Amino acid sequence: MNTNIKLAWRNLWRNKRRTLITVASIFFGVLLSAYMTSMQEGSYGKMVEIVVKFYSGYMQVHHEDYWENKSINNVFEYDQTLVDQIKIHPEVDFVIPRLESFGLASSEELTRGAAVFGIVPTVENQLTGIADKITSGKYLQDNDEGVIIGDGLAGFLKLEVNDTLVILSQGYHGVSAAGKFPVRGIIKHISPELNKSIIYMELKTCQTFLDAENKLSSLVVNVADNDAMNRTLRHLKKEIHSPYSVMSWEEMQPEVVQQIEGDRAGGVIMKGILYIVIAFGILGTIMMMIAERRREFGVMISIGMQKKKLALVLFIETVFIGLLGIASGIAASVPLLFFQARNPIPLTGQAAQVMEDFGFEPFMFFSTAPEVFWQQALSIFIISVLIGIYPIVSTWRIKEIKALHG
Amino acid sequence: MKAKLVTVFLIFLAISAFSQSPDIKEIVRQADEKMRGTSSTGTFSMTIERPTWSRTISMKSWTLGNEYSLIYVTAPAKEKGQVFLKRKNEMWNWVPSIDRMIKIPPSMMMQSWMGSDFTNDDLVRESSIVKDYTHKLLGEEIVAGYPSYKIELIPLEDAPVVWGKVLMWVSKKEYHWLKAEFFDEDGILVNTEILSDIKKMDDRVIPCRMEMIPADKKGHRTVMIFEDTDFDVPLKEEFFSIQNMKKIK
Repeated sequence: MNTNIKLAWRNLWRNKRRTLITVASIFFGVLLSAYMTSMQEGSYGKMVEIVVKFYSGYMQVHHEDYWENKSINNVFEYDQTLVDQIKIHPEVDFVIPRLESFGLASSEELTRGAAVFGIVPTVENQLTGIADKITSGKYLQDNDEGVIIGDGLAGFLKLEVNDTLVILSQGYHGVSAAGKFPVRGIIKHISPELNKSIIYMELKTCQTFLDAENKLSSLVVNVADNDAMNRTLRHLKKEIHSPYSVMSWEEMQPEVVQQIEGDRAGGVIMKGILYIVIAFGILGTIMMMIAERRREFGVMISIGMQKKKLALVLFIETVFIGLLGIASGIAASVPLLFFQARNPIPLTGQAAQVMEDFGFEPFMFFSTAPEVFWQQALSIFIISVLIGIYPIVSTWRIKEIKALHG
Repeated sequence: MKAKLVTVFLIFLAISAFSQSPDIKEIVRQADEKMRGTSSTGTFSMTIERPTWSRTISMKSWTLGNEYSLIYVTAPAKEKGQVFLKRKNEMWNWVPSIDRMIKIPPSMMMQSWMGSDFTNDDLVRESSIVKDYTHKLLGEEIVAGYPSYKIELIPLEDAPVVWGKVLMWVSKKEYHWLKAEFFDEDGILVNTEILSDIKKMDDRVIPCRMEMIPADKKGHRTVMIFEDTDFDVPLKEEFFSIQNMKKIK
């Protein structure tokens, strides 16, 4: 066996150019498919991140009627035992209380619909890092009576820091809620949709404003990642009963999940085409190689080389070419993709507009998740093993006399 | 001679027929008049009932005819000082906590008034149950112990009315308006109004409790209780002004 491998390896380098061309075709195949996968997964990752990090968190606990009817009347009383019950799970990083509602935001002359978020400034910042997104003014303090508004909203209402924002809304149990709030800061929210409508308010201020003392619309439960979420969610679903309900971001934003799945299916077709092109490229060079070495094989078989052994050596050669291509492809794509992940490609013009309208940043993002690489490596390896069958079959069919003459 | 006899007979017939069936329009007019008066001041409370909660708002009101009214909220504390002004078919809301005068736009007329089962339009509506409808007696029924006329009101072609049909029950003796059912154009019941707790208020005896029950929402109800009302008080049209909204207590 050892001799076979040695033979195969030496055979490869007997004709360097032929080997390198084959390796190069695989190299570019791996690079291209890794690049494409990385770009796809990167944009999905970004979508999830925007949803999870800047809005819903991984999981939320609501009053059971809240999601169907997001009314200020479907809120629940803050309950420490509920929070403890959630926090007992080791994978839960933190639990964030929120009170969300809608209202009309208004300056002197102008009025616009707005989303009012009552938050605890310090803990909310742990999840969303919104304090870093403040473009002017400052972030909310504890017991702050002011508000932070999205810069799209501020622009529309022509408001600046220290101006007064008027909010009109309906409070708990139909109380009319109207209040004046000083603008403490203006935030450039990552989601263009929220940027146009968001008002952040200190939780207590918001509860007083909506006449919902000590009440919350949601508890955001955050974990490290999707896998941790799925594990914890299973337990929480069992433990959290009526009148509460727990939901994952996938349940809260099914459209994001569907969009990702739909897009991924489209990507599978593209990658399938790419792999077929690569496969025929490799097959072509291998066929050429066999044809070129026909006389050599004829001589070897004539002087006593077993066909079985010859076929095995050729198979190993093909696999070697495959492995070389994969190794070089991965070696090149890892630094490239890590670089791209750090420096996403900015989009301009209409494409950027479309992305912004959907609520995403206008960039092409890249993922450097391990599966981006090993999936390509594995698929190309399987392809080269399958192609390795061709030289086996063709050696089996060799007629020594014909081969010697040819 | 024969012709004369026939004429006399016909006249008798007409008179007897007339005297037997009461003048429905007149009954409706009297029932309506009783509730309104030419002008009034008073206090009332409104309780909004929902399947899981209820809350009560107390108010003072001033009205002049059908066209002008002013409502000042006295409780709960959070909403105290809010004022609603109605002039003809326009409506304003003064919110002292934000120093804002809000004109209720036509697009918001069908929305709930202060979270109750009344719409803004219910308060502003110009239509008159006397002038804008044709009236027909359907029969007699007993409502809350009072023998009553059951009257069907169908709006006139060009009347500014949202209903397709209204059924109302008016007591036979005192002409108290006791109950009304409002149907939409497809003949589906939308709201039921029940008036009860008949007692003496100032110079007249009227129902002091009014319930509004929307048909399609289970467990929803709004109850208005008129606590004390003075009728025919001296109020002028100038009283119902935007300036006065900010001053009134």
